Amino acid sequence: MKPRPVSNLALKETPAAGPAPGPSPVRAGALPRRVLLRLADSRPLMLFVLVVVLVAAMSAAYPNNFPTRFNIPAVLLNAAQNAILVTGMMLLMVAGGFDLSIGSTLALSGVWAGVVVGRWGWPAEAGLLVGLAVGAAAGLVNGLIVTRLGINALIATLATLTIYRGLTYLTAGTGVTPIGDAFKAYGQSTFLGLQMPFWVMLAVVALGAWALAETRFFRQYYFIGGNARAAKLSGIRVERLTLIGFVIMGLLAGLAGVLGASRLNSAVVSAGINVELSVITATVLGGASLKGGEGTVIGGVLGVLFIALVQNAMIINGIGIFWQNIIVGLVLLLGVSLDRFKQAHRG
Amino acid sequence: MTTRILAQNIGKQFPGVRALHAVSLAVEPGEIHALLGENGAGKSTLGKIIAGVYAADAGQVLIDGAEMGTADEAAAGRLGIGIVHQEGSLVGQLSIAENVFAGRQPTGRFGRINRRAMAERTRALLAELGVTLDPSLKVAHLSPAQAQVVEIAKALSRDLKVLILDEPTAALTLNEAGRLFAVCRTLAARGVAIVYVSHRLAEIFALCHRVTVLKDGRVTGVRRVAETGQDELIRLMVGREVHFARDAGARAFGEVRLEARGIAAAPFVRGASFTVRAGEIVCLAGLVGAGRSEACEAVFGARPLDGGEVLVRGRRVRFGGPWDAMAAGIGMVPESRKDAGLFLGMDVASNVCAAVLGKVSPSGRVSAAAADALAARFVRDLRIATPSVRRPVGDLSGGNQQKVLLAKWLAMEPDVLIVDEPTRGVDVGARSEIYRLLRELAGRGMALLVVSSDLPEVLTLADRVVVMADGRTVGEIDGNAADEEGVLRLATRHTQVDAVPVLAPAA
Repeated sequence: MKPRPVSNLALKETPAAGPAPGPSPVRAGALPRRVLLRLADSRPLMLFVLVVVLVAAMSAAYPNNFPTRFNIPAVLLNAAQNAILVTGMMLLMVAGGFDLSIGSTLALSGVWAGVVVGRWGWPAEAGLLVGLAVGAAAGLVNGLIVTRLGINALIATLATLTIYRGLTYLTAGTGVTPIGDAFKAYGQSTFLGLQMPFWVMLAVVALGAWALAETRFFRQYYFIGGNARAAKLSGIRVERLTLIGFVIMGLLAGLAGVLGASRLNSAVVSAGINVELSVITATVLGGASLKGGEGTVIGGVLGVLFIALVQNAMIINGIGIFWQNIIVGLVLLLGVSLDRFKQAHRG
Repeated sequence: MTTRILAQNIGKQFPGVRALHAVSLAVEPGEIHALLGENGAGKSTLGKIIAGVYAADAGQVLIDGAEMGTADEAAAGRLGIGIVHQEGSLVGQLSIAENVFAGRQPTGRFGRINRRAMAERTRALLAELGVTLDPSLKVAHLSPAQAQVVEIAKALSRDLKVLILDEPTAALTLNEAGRLFAVCRTLAARGVAIVYVSHRLAEIFALCHRVTVLKDGRVTGVRRVAETGQDELIRLMVGREVHFARDAGARAFGEVRLEARGIAAAPFVRGASFTVRAGEIVCLAGLVGAGRSEACEAVFGARPLDGGEVLVRGRRVRFGGPWDAMAAGIGMVPESRKDAGLFLGMDVASNVCAAVLGKVSPSGRVSAAAADALAARFVRDLRIATPSVRRPVGDLSGGNQQKVLLAKWLAMEPDVLIVDEPTRGVDVGARSEIYRLLRELAGRGMALLVVSSDLPEVLTLADRVVVMADGRTVGEIDGNAADEEGVLRLATRHTQVDAVPVLAPAA
């Protein structure tokens, strides 16, 4: 696979897929340039086109393996965890921060839910709440370290990444299996042929996308990421909002953790290792920048979906797992260099 | 004697902007030659082309009659061309000596840096400039004025033939600027050709021999400074004569809106008291470093208050942060547009609405239409030149950025507006508009507290001048009775020894 066919395909596909409301091109010769600029202008749109192209190509090439009622739900279920996480990560990255400890938070939450239900015999609902509370608490600690001690998010969450993982092992040793039938129902029951984690993810993403795009409260995060000092002098409570951002991230990591534990009916101490890297990759692919101030939840979710589809396509193709990483990395570089191109040719 | 710098028909194009059209410049050895123009006139670009930072698209630069060749700052440096950038080129975490000899450190065997030689040579260079500083000091610990001298020492560390100074006094106090001038004269007396990029007329008359005026990338005139006047230069810069006259009509002042009583915020503010009445423009004057901006931040809740009290409409207040001050009807336009004022990557509409998100989202949902409408109103009222309210603010000129910043606070409709350096980096045309706007606001009953380091500006605007020195308010002068001398005398008389800049004139 070379990256070149991607842009060729994108050019052919967009007139059908792009809902571009802009003025229609006057001359036919102006079309490719306009389409390219329009694509470069909106990362979610670019990802959407890529996802559509990938789905169409895979359905045509592997009608018996790809578009089946086993494969599609499996892809969506696998993407559910990262899509929940990307919603929180996008919020933090819009504000110019990020959280490396989410994988450990996820494991810690899942393990606590498993311990209170599987070992102490608490009801399943209490287990879910304990898991969520543990996640939120872990996020709160991250937020306090960043805002009160003034330690930068990279260092702070790098430290808690190992601390929370250590706590996970301390809590559960080798894990808790099985947790219980009432508990596993939350992750394994299905609705319209899709398992619960998918529907929870859909709710989280919809709510997150709406809130970040539309509400006054969450719009403030764009200002913080745009210029934190100017935001503070504009009356925006930068520290408090940053703290809240970390708590939301922790809560979502906790949610992903309990859903995962419930789906497997097992609290796994090694759950979520390296998940922070793939989530941050998806977030950046989806339009966030490390400087902050830009990005949308929809973009991040499309990033997750794109990565999940690439992985699925590789598996069906029988292409080795190492290629997945290479492709995802190349697409990330391509997306980011498109931004550079856009900046250089603006105005 | 060959002409030291001969730039002929220089042209330069940036994406979307024609920065220079067939510009020529001639500077003799020993001459201090000013490049004057409004923001965006192309003066910094020309300076950077001579220093090899940018490549010209057309024309050529001759140094002592020899063509300079391709653009390369290092090559230009070897030719003896030094530039002191507006934005600075020093690395804060390294020592003065390492910065001065960046990339050219004297070495001993095996390429090992000879730190002693480097320190000694740095000390000697600084002494030439009349400064005593420890060469091992980190640059991050220096004042802006001291850093500037280190920049010059860095240029001087080679066999300097040409020195380009780009807005060198932007961060300096009056005293420090005076000492910089002395350094320039010393260098010129040694035959260095100095290109002095500035839009401050007073400095040009104080320092320069000749001046080349640029407007929109073209040369509009070359004059001997002794044979021209301020009005002519302004006309060449803006194409019309501009006067900053005081507002003759007397205004009636109302109640005291804002009062500070002996406020302190360590270590910069150690006792400041002032009042601002409705309809009044009070200017806080003083040298840079006198604690004026910090006093304003303390009043606005952006800096913790260690002592004293703040009263709004006679009632004592305690602000936990800017949000509390804003709830009490106070707005503050900060000094630095780039660092503290604007969201440069965001569009005009977002910037205008940043302090009044509640206004454009009454039910908690942000209405893009309401935001655009609010921004469009200010674009019209303040005559902000922007193609659309969706344009990133970073694309606008300095003057228009400043207007966006003002609009952001006017949108809040404050009772008291603190404006820190209302016209920094703003060209002459926009400057007069901002003055008119501030007067109009006062006329409508707003209480204005203006911090300014530009004395003519203070004298133009102020109904009352409050002078600060060394963290304290040291006196008040009625605006109509104030003159530069009186304000300066107050501002410098109380200065304590530790506040005197280290920068000393060359012997």
